[in-house]
Amino acid sequence: MNAFMTFVDKATGVQGFLIVGAILFSLGIIGILSRKNAIGILLGVELILNAAGLNFVTFSRYRTAAIDGQVANLFVILIAAAEAAVALAIILRFYRLKQTIDADEANLLRN
Amino acid sequence: MNQSAAFAHTLQSWTSQLPILSAFPLWAWAAISALGVIFLLALPFGGLATYVERKIAADIQDRIGPNRVGPIGIFQFAADAVKMLAKEDFVPPGGDRFLFNLAPLFVVVGALAAFAALPLGKHLVGADLNIGIFYIISVTTLIAPGLLLGSWGSQNKWSLLGGLRAAAQIVSYEIPVALAILPVILISGTLQVGSIVEQQGWGVGDYHFWNIIHNPFTIISFFLLFIGGLAETNRIPFDLPEAESELVSGFNTEFSGMRFGLYALGEFVDVFVMSAVLTTVYLGGWQLPFFNIDQWVIPLPTGIVALVHFTVFMTKTLLLVFVVMWLRWTLPRLRVDQLMGLCWKGMVPLALINVTGTALWMWIFKGQSLMQLLAKAFGG
Amino acid sequence: MTNGMKLVLFGAEVLTVLCALIATFHPNVLYGAIALLITFLGVAVMYVFAGADFLAGAQVIVYVGGVTILILFAIMLTQWLYQMKLRDVGTKLLAPILIGAGLFYVLAKALLDINPKFLSDNAEPAQKFLMTPKTALLGEALLGSYLLPFEAITILLLGALVGAVWIARPR
Repeated sequence: MNAFMTFVDKATGVQGFLIVGAILFSLGIIGILSRKNAIGILLGVELILNAAGLNFVTFSRYRTAAIDGQVANLFVILIAAAEAAVALAIILRFYRLKQTIDADEANLLRN
Repeated sequence: MNQSAAFAHTLQSWTSQLPILSAFPLWAWAAISALGVIFLLALPFGGLATYVERKIAADIQDRIGPNRVGPIGIFQFAADAVKMLAKEDFVPPGGDRFLFNLAPLFVVVGALAAFAALPLGKHLVGADLNIGIFYIISVTTLIAPGLLLGSWGSQNKWSLLGGLRAAAQIVSYEIPVALAILPVILISGTLQVGSIVEQQGWGVGDYHFWNIIHNPFTIISFFLLFIGGLAETNRIPFDLPEAESELVSGFNTEFSGMRFGLYALGEFVDVFVMSAVLTTVYLGGWQLPFFNIDQWVIPLPTGIVALVHFTVFMTKTLLLVFVVMWLRWTLPRLRVDQLMGLCWKGMVPLALINVTGTALWMWIFKGQSLMQLLAKAFGG
Repeated sequence: MTNGMKLVLFGAEVLTVLCALIATFHPNVLYGAIALLITFLGVAVMYVFAGADFLAGAQVIVYVGGVTILILFAIMLTQWLYQMKLRDVGTKLLAPILIGAGLFYVLAKALLDINPKFLSDNAEPAQKFLMTPKTALLGEALLGSYLLPFEAITILLLGALVGAVWIARPR
């Protein structure tokens, strides 16, 4: 029980936040590399953006104790929203063209 | 997130003299107050709302309505609940059982979580968060994924069409709703619901009566927020997601028994939350008109002040709920293109004009409301 | 922080990581999207504990109310309802996992090696910063020292909005 609470202590400190951010980032990279489905790739991108935002907020709290990191994260959130809207418009367009959203099928410009 | 669990703090301070109850830690009071809000406020409201809605419908259509269970049929909701619990727990074959079970939870959680920040009275706020009104808008967005997932899990094309319509409608109307709340945030300079209501008092120094008549633009904003709230809660005339003449019953076609009950509960609680937000933001929340009960010449005990506040707040909110139910039997349903046109071509530009206009008013009149200016002009 | 709050935060972290795992590895993209929704909520809880109250609200309203809905919409508009064929066929998992694990190892090593003096955890200003409401500070920063990025982002949003409508318009 005591060992568990010391682990919780460590996990809820600054290092816990940073490690969770690193995990989200790595998982996002794995998702982008392994998925074929265009929406699956988008899920990975969202994970990476969240990891970046988490790091901004963590350093804003623990390192600078100032608002700047949170402003940066606000911009990240706004860009994520814009990016998702454009990405999904492209996916819908691509689906109308090819009847699939498999990213490997996007090869019209090849050769 | 300072001042969180204000309700629990109040309960703890009230009971600190009693020998047994003073031993309870703060988190126990928080849990008790959460359960109290759900079981004493949300569930009875959801149940009674179904009865009242049917009674109002009957009155408008010159019928009698439910009249068998109890005096004038008032226990109809209990009978309905028993019937729903006893019904077969049906999941459509070929449907996605996991999503089907998950979806009503999203709807109910999204609607009930907003209760935590509703200011039912000066000392009766579940958690007076400093982002209160923003919190309420953001947790109620959980309803849209719930409707979408439920409609997909039903494996039924009417359900899917209804779910897609519901999600598109909720996402679109979030924008005019947020923009219609913005003038109030300009006026009060805070997102904390407690102080938004506090500033709408009357009598002392810089209080400026209800926000609805703060300036000409907020009157329009009030109606924009009301219309947007109707659309967000999928009420008539915006009930395209469950348009029974086209889509059978929309996203809840395949839902029966207690899952349908949860959907219905979520919808009614959402209507209540929407009306409560309107009351809080524009109609002065718990404030009596032209009278501050907690600054009366005779200082009243906290319990009585809380009771008066609660009564005033509930009266205003339930009146708005009544108007919503009344509209249901008055207005015809919109078409999909009319719905989107109203949102993007009508309400969003109007809301933007209101925000700008309110900002200009605040700049020109140094933040004074219409009532304050009138009072000054007539030496009141 | 009390022990109870620590446990809540720890639970949120565990939930975030578990749901991110599901979002990455579940073969059904729809379930991945639902797991991603819960990841967003978990990250929002972590924001609250990092003293970013306004951002937590923004996270929920933009990601849960906006991005997730868009993703679910795209899934439902590009799949056939009666097939439920959301399988992500032919995923080659070995190389991505190796790359991701390597990346995580490097990141974790670098992050855990940060000098504790650099991160003023229990210092007075950090504790004070945690408890101050951030909405007013954010507003002042956005219309003060960050005015130019703020204006740039509005143009970006407008461009994205018009571009998305233009790309997805029916021909």
